[in-house]
Amino acid sequence: MMTDPKRGCEVDLVFSTERYDLKEDEDQVGKCSARVFYKNEKPRPAVNVTCTRLIEKKKTQEEDYLLYKQLKQLRAPLDVGSIPDSHGHIDPSLRPIWDLAFLGSSYVMWEKTTQSLHYYLAQLNSVKQWKTNDDAIDFDYIVLLHEFPTQEIIPCRIHLIWFPGKPLKVKYHCQELQTPEEASGTEEGSAVALTESSNF
Amino acid sequence: MKPLLGTLYLLGMLVPGGLGYDSEEYRVQCLSERNSNRNQGQANGLPVDSHSLPWLFQIYQWMSQISEKYREVVTQHLLGTTYENRTMYYLKISQPSNNTKKIIWMDCGIHAREWIAPAFCQWFVKEILQNYKENPRISKFLRNLDFYVLPVFNIDGYIYTWTTDRLWRKSRSSHNNGTCFGTDLNRNFNASWCSTGASKNCEDLIFCGTGPVSEPETKALSSFIESRKKNILCFLTMHSYGQLILTPYGYTQDKASNHEELIRFGQKAANALKAKHGTNYRVGSSVDILYATSGSSRDWARDIGIPFSYTFELRDNGTYGFVLPAAQIQPTCEETMEAVLSILDDVYAKYWQSNSARKVTSATAGLILLMSFSSLL
Repeated sequence: MMTDPKRGCEVDLVFSTERYDLKEDEDQVGKCSARVFYKNEKPRPAVNVTCTRLIEKKKTQEEDYLLYKQLKQLRAPLDVGSIPDSHGHIDPSLRPIWDLAFLGSSYVMWEKTTQSLHYYLAQLNSVKQWKTNDDAIDFDYIVLLHEFPTQEIIPCRIHLIWFPGKPLKVKYHCQELQTPEEASGTEEGSAVALTESSNF
Repeated sequence: MKPLLGTLYLLGMLVPGGLGYDSEEYRVQCLSERNSNRNQGQANGLPVDSHSLPWLFQIYQWMSQISEKYREVVTQHLLGTTYENRTMYYLKISQPSNNTKKIIWMDCGIHAREWIAPAFCQWFVKEILQNYKENPRISKFLRNLDFYVLPVFNIDGYIYTWTTDRLWRKSRSSHNNGTCFGTDLNRNFNASWCSTGASKNCEDLIFCGTGPVSEPETKALSSFIESRKKNILCFLTMHSYGQLILTPYGYTQDKASNHEELIRFGQKAANALKAKHGTNYRVGSSVDILYATSGSSRDWARDIGIPFSYTFELRDNGTYGFVLPAAQIQPTCEETMEAVLSILDDVYAKYWQSNSARKVTSATAGLILLMSFSSLL
């Protein structure tokens, strides 16, 4: 790791990936290396990542479509409590919601992460789904992000639109204690010229 | 484990009343679900069974029942009172003997939302008590060690996570004319108080309080530990999440005088933990592998001379965070038990192995003398 107060902080990472749902069918472990650059304590680090041995594109497309079908089957409007509940339980029928919410939240977390602040998803609240004309999944929900090292819980309202094969569209508003934030694009980040949906 | 814990909970339901503790009030509160304004975690009025994390009422019931069941070695004691005037109880596990014992201290739940920690304190007590007669490793400890366990340090906060806000962290002390609640008890100790990694703003989750040891909970623990510090070998404070074994310090990069030994024992503990279910823990000083903090109980304990002071951050790594699924309670407790036993082994060996070697030597000498004498007859 390199820190130059004038430039910022660069971190080289080597890591492996596993299935998010931890299903152990094939021993599919991806190998990745990445360079992450934070400019002057600013959020939205620039990320250059390469991976090998990830799940085949055809298989991910199949699984995306399966997720899409599961989400479409859920009745709108959805009005569920916290996911997980206080005891860490997620009803299997609501698991697809968690998966998609997690994905959308990861974008928000990337937008907020700096070299000294990072996040985890603590809990998901108030999920609502609307139908859209083009049959995309339209989710409006609130996540609680756990912020390190402040230990704060940051509520973020996220609106995401997804159709398999198309980039995820994420708009959000986080309730900050000191400085209220609007949706992505209003603050200069470390990353160079990234659109709101290009990484997904 | 499940049948035993289930039985204890069932007993808890059948035994009326509390221990000078207003249990009725909390049953009523448990049934209502209120949303807080800012933090929107909701308490879920799920019935508590043997597969979920215990409600405070049940913890108190359990404490009194286990003290009764194992009364030859367990006693329940008052540590102090919380801000909202609740009694803080700890358990003392001590095998009667003529030896002066050294003390192992363990506290859980200094941060309200870290529910797996009080569960582990209960598990630890249960394991010691169920095994101290037959298990030579544990019976060895009880020859020279007393265990003091505080299952829930931040009682007011813990209750608040059940009734109102699942993700509450601090105590429930009132500040700024009732506009602001809670001190981070793990920033409130007299260890470079509020110098770094803490906040003087009562709205913040790492609010250090109005002064060092300003909170009644901190005062209660501090006086107790201070008065017995010469006899305390180990100070273990249990948190979640992060899968870390942390040594002093958080408030400085400087290392404790026994830093290498702390790391060595900690690493062995992490290895023992991993051997159980494959879970990876990292070991290091708090400032090195986590972030800077001041006023922590672990740092304060080390500074007053307690040699082996550790913070444990239990499962998981952020996937579920504070809301660890019930299915992970038992494996987390089992693996953490291995880690704690490993540290106890190392600490015990450090202080008593040489003594037992001397005993063997003098016994051998006596035997040789006896044999020599009998050969003369």
